[in-house]
Amino acid sequence: MNDNDQHELQAGISRRRFVQGSAVAGIGAFLAACTTGTTSSPPASAPGQTGSPDPSPSASATPESTEVVGPLNFANWDAYIDLTTDPGADGEEGTDDDEYVLPSPTLNEFQQQYGIEVNYSNAEIDDNETFMATIRPQFQAGVDTGWDLIVLTDWMAAKVVQAGWAEQINPAMIPDALANVRDELKGMPWDPNLEYHVPWQSGATGIGYNVVSTQRDLASIGDLFDEAFAGRVTLLSETRDTFPLVHLLLQARGETSENAPEEMDAEDAERVHAFLGPYVESGHIRGFTGNSYLRDFSGGDTWAAVVWSGDLASAGTDDDRFVFPTEGSMIWTDNALIPKGAQHKAAAEAMMNFVYDVRRAARIAAFIYYISPVKGVAEAISEFDEEAAENELLFQPPDVIAKQHPQPNWDEATEAQVNELYADLAGV
Amino acid sequence: MRRHRWLIPWLLMAPGLLWLALFFVLPNVQMLAMSLSSGRVGDFAFSWDWDNYTSALTRFPDNFRNSVVYGGLATLLCLLVGYPLAYGIAFRGGRFKNLLLFLVIAPFFTSFLLRVISWQILIGDRGPLLAVVRDTLGIVPANFTIIGSPLAVVAGITYQFLPFMVLPLYVSLEKIDRRYIEAAKDLYAGPWRPAGWIAGGLVGAAAGGALMLGLGYATLAAASLPALLPAMAIGGAIGGLVCGFLVSESFVRVVLPLSLPGLFAGSVLVFIPSIGDFVNAELLGSTKTQMIGNVIQNRFLQQNDYPTAAALSFLLMAAILVAIIVYARVLGTEELTGGRAA
Repeated sequence: MNDNDQHELQAGISRRRFVQGSAVAGIGAFLAACTTGTTSSPPASAPGQTGSPDPSPSASATPESTEVVGPLNFANWDAYIDLTTDPGADGEEGTDDDEYVLPSPTLNEFQQQYGIEVNYSNAEIDDNETFMATIRPQFQAGVDTGWDLIVLTDWMAAKVVQAGWAEQINPAMIPDALANVRDELKGMPWDPNLEYHVPWQSGATGIGYNVVSTQRDLASIGDLFDEAFAGRVTLLSETRDTFPLVHLLLQARGETSENAPEEMDAEDAERVHAFLGPYVESGHIRGFTGNSYLRDFSGGDTWAAVVWSGDLASAGTDDDRFVFPTEGSMIWTDNALIPKGAQHKAAAEAMMNFVYDVRRAARIAAFIYYISPVKGVAEAISEFDEEAAENELLFQPPDVIAKQHPQPNWDEATEAQVNELYADLAGV
Repeated sequence: MRRHRWLIPWLLMAPGLLWLALFFVLPNVQMLAMSLSSGRVGDFAFSWDWDNYTSALTRFPDNFRNSVVYGGLATLLCLLVGYPLAYGIAFRGGRFKNLLLFLVIAPFFTSFLLRVISWQILIGDRGPLLAVVRDTLGIVPANFTIIGSPLAVVAGITYQFLPFMVLPLYVSLEKIDRRYIEAAKDLYAGPWRPAGWIAGGLVGAAAGGALMLGLGYATLAAASLPALLPAMAIGGAIGGLVCGFLVSESFVRVVLPLSLPGLFAGSVLVFIPSIGDFVNAELLGSTKTQMIGNVIQNRFLQQNDYPTAAALSFLLMAAILVAIIVYARVLGTEELTGGRAA
């Protein structure tokens, strides 16, 4: 077994659990959208039952208050928190037909502890840009967005922080988060000391392949350009994943600058474009996709691709494998932020801190199978879920972490240039 | 009351007109203004910036070409598949007419996206089509795939918009008075031979050639004649046989002319959405099969380049309008466009 084999993560994910979890959560979101009005009877009313957050300011809450006043209006991505387990048809918990629904154990505990309601809006965020489009006008007008807590990926979180649209977090309110956050998640150039955000969950970008189709194991980004895979390769349409990964490959070959992927500039992107151009022209690279590569894998039309870490493990077959490339991989984080003018800032801070309790973080991680930002989750999780505790998607080996890079945080001009380069490659 | 009679039609039209004004005219005026603006997202300013149009025209020639070619081929295929289908239902459907029509529309009960995705599976590398054509029969080379090719995109569009061709054709065929056909037969209308052999052969050869060229399996260069000529021969043979043996003179002289309004409406209804389609190219195609709709989508949603996207949208609208006017002139169906044949 070579060194790379140990990074193959095809086993271990309870896919039924994840997929079913998101399906049920989707229904929950739908029901949530159908119900109107807020039942303001704390503490124990269920979250996720109210639609749009209550825009009216809470009487006793001021932005600088440390008194936790509800309700907490929390917008998150689909199935991005632990859900409640309901025994399925066989009436026994912990079997395959269990159902997963809101509310979540974590949210329930939070409500009981603080005596406030949580308006948790599951699947409110499906895409950074689309969600931002719904709250940008409020930011620009300087009014409350209606949300107290939102979750955005690094680059978008950076934009929000840089625009001054995030509330400064009171450090006294988040002692657990500051103490327990994994060290490598600190020091982001846009907010090095976690003054405006705390990480929610992370994921990686690497190489996915179907071992039956490729007939060999892949280990590096360079393997994507093996002639044998012509026409069966796709890259991600997310430029912040695809360009830095190819940049890493060019670096390994000594064909580009020494800039770290997170520091890559427009010239580096030009070199990536020049490298990929012939492969696109010859049809070796068939296209640039989002999550739809999952269907291409299952249909046999994609053999190898740049993919996000959890997808193939949770929705692919046993032959679909994920590797952290030898050149390095991308790590991205979704971050919890308090939008400027949030009415229940202290409640949001309390929630930020609440999920940094190691035991709760372990419970969330074991459910959603992403990389927890909390130190010590590995030990905590092994107490109740051995399988999850050994999964390299949740707990990446040190040699993988050493070669991991954050996504670049391009300025507006560079972003526009990279987008044009991408459009040229993608044929649009 | 009587004095205000002239008001009645306007009152009846008011909801529709209001709807059009709010959701068609107003957005289009806004788009027009956007297409002449410059600046960055958040603060676009109207500036009579005609460069948006010139750059939109010159920067995306491949995408415009793909749109016109794929849209045209899909319309052609819809016609070739849809006419016999509509004819069969209208003239031979009997008591199953309604059931057959329902079957044509039935796929529309599922979402557009799901239908495209199911095509990914059907024509996929491990899908049933290639399992038969490639793996069992061996008609195509072992490394032949469909996903990512123009064939996949055109096939997808054809499938998606086929009912738009079948329904208007069915309506115009169904209302044809059968006594006209009997009259034609009484006047010695017989099999369409030998004219049918020639006409069918020519049309079939042209369709075969157009498909090979449009789908990129052949070019006009001499080197691809070995691919082009057999396709044209096969198309010609099929067309000749069909027209020589299945098509009668009464059909050519009576049914076909009377169904022209349906044929016109059907092809317009197919051509307009298919030329602007981007979902099929996105999910079934590759980087080389992207249509102008994909560019507009990318400009709007990824690049935040609203002015270029708006300019492209207007150019697409203009192109479609011109194409339809020309088509209407050629087909001579003025009654559809408001005028009356003399």
